[in-house]
Amino acid sequence: MRRLLILPLLFGILSADSGILDIKWPKPNAKHLKPSTPYPKVLTEGIKDVRLPVYIPNSYAYIKNMVVIADKNFYTISFPFKGATVTISGDRTYQESVSNKQEFKAILKAIPPVTFEQEEGIMTSEFNRHGVNYSMEIECDKPQRDKRCTDTKLIKELYSRLIMVGGHP
Amino acid sequence: MRTLLIIPFILFFSACTQEQPKPNKPLTEEEKKFTFSPAGQLVPAKSGQGRNGDNYIYAPGIRFPIESAPAYLNSQVYGIGGLYGARGSLCNEKNYQYPWHDNYCEKRRWGMPLCSGGKGHQGVDIRTATCEKNKYYAVAVEDGIITYIGKYTVKLRGKSGRTYRYLHLDSPSVLVKKGEKVNRGDRLGLVSNNMGSTKTSIHLHFDIKETIKINGKSTKVYVPPYTSLVDAYKRLLRGNP
Repeated sequence: MRRLLILPLLFGILSADSGILDIKWPKPNAKHLKPSTPYPKVLTEGIKDVRLPVYIPNSYAYIKNMVVIADKNFYTISFPFKGATVTISGDRTYQESVSNKQEFKAILKAIPPVTFEQEEGIMTSEFNRHGVNYSMEIECDKPQRDKRCTDTKLIKELYSRLIMVGGHP
Repeated sequence: MRTLLIIPFILFFSACTQEQPKPNKPLTEEEKKFTFSPAGQLVPAKSGQGRNGDNYIYAPGIRFPIESAPAYLNSQVYGIGGLYGARGSLCNEKNYQYPWHDNYCEKRRWGMPLCSGGKGHQGVDIRTATCEKNKYYAVAVEDGIITYIGKYTVKLRGKSGRTYRYLHLDSPSVLVKKGEKVNRGDRLGLVSNNMGSTKTSIHLHFDIKETIKINGKSTKVYVPPYTSLVDAYKRLLRGNP
């Protein structure tokens, strides 16, 4: 057991050094932050304390039966979508830090700015914006038959329609 | 200077008053039986390339995600009765035996930055004590909040900021709601074979996602859960989950 704990220290692989990521705040779009038709209360109230840019696909920002779970460093918004559930999350915390591990540097370099793929039947997109890590997922009731979970078309469309609806420094 | 002189006394006093370790409890029968293969050693070899030698415990101190022992961590896909496994029943007793075998990074189609070749299984599969669905509870591995419940997915965001994903729980048995705060060890739902309209084998898929900061940049990845689970399981067997 002790060996397990010592090994990473010896090789300087990872350290359980958790913290908050720095954000390069984007210039907000006033129309998105304060639209002519106000966003539902569930959204505005849910994200009022969030201290990272909050993104959501544009028309979905008006869905009243969305569920928002958030604190100052992360948010998850999910909403039902006719036999599927769509989720978007943002998170500005980190749990490990690496300074001199070549493998992880190579990994970071190899990760594309945005990914779209199905894993465990769930269509997923991952991306980093302004230094924050975001993910978007579509989980279908019928994952093997529902095109929304077998084809990347919808998730790409949702990604292209992301707008910043809140969050503050 | 005076402070320097006081330090040895403090150390001496603290050594004298330190609680003596309790005599070790004798091993239980289950502890005697429990064995596990090294992290990253996938079985069979054709099932893929694991992270050999990565013994780092990525989620230290978590509780084991199934309420009770025994549980068997091994491949579903390459186990007996699995898609690429030997012919036989999924309930074959050989699937319900130690040693445990890591199956993080087992061959899959989807991207996994920490796996050789950049693809692989993002978590591990765990069988319950017996081949019966809806009998054994999955539990929270740390204090946190339920952030998502889907058709066959429950996500827990722990206080550590790690996200733990539990797949294939029986939907009607799920005891938590989105946004509910849970304590370590709280029941979440029953382990089943639920994958929406498609059924899978009876098991819990468990994965851990965390953000790794690398020289000022960061990425969110599924990290190897095996060593954390071996550690958690040993504590469960000790009666100190």
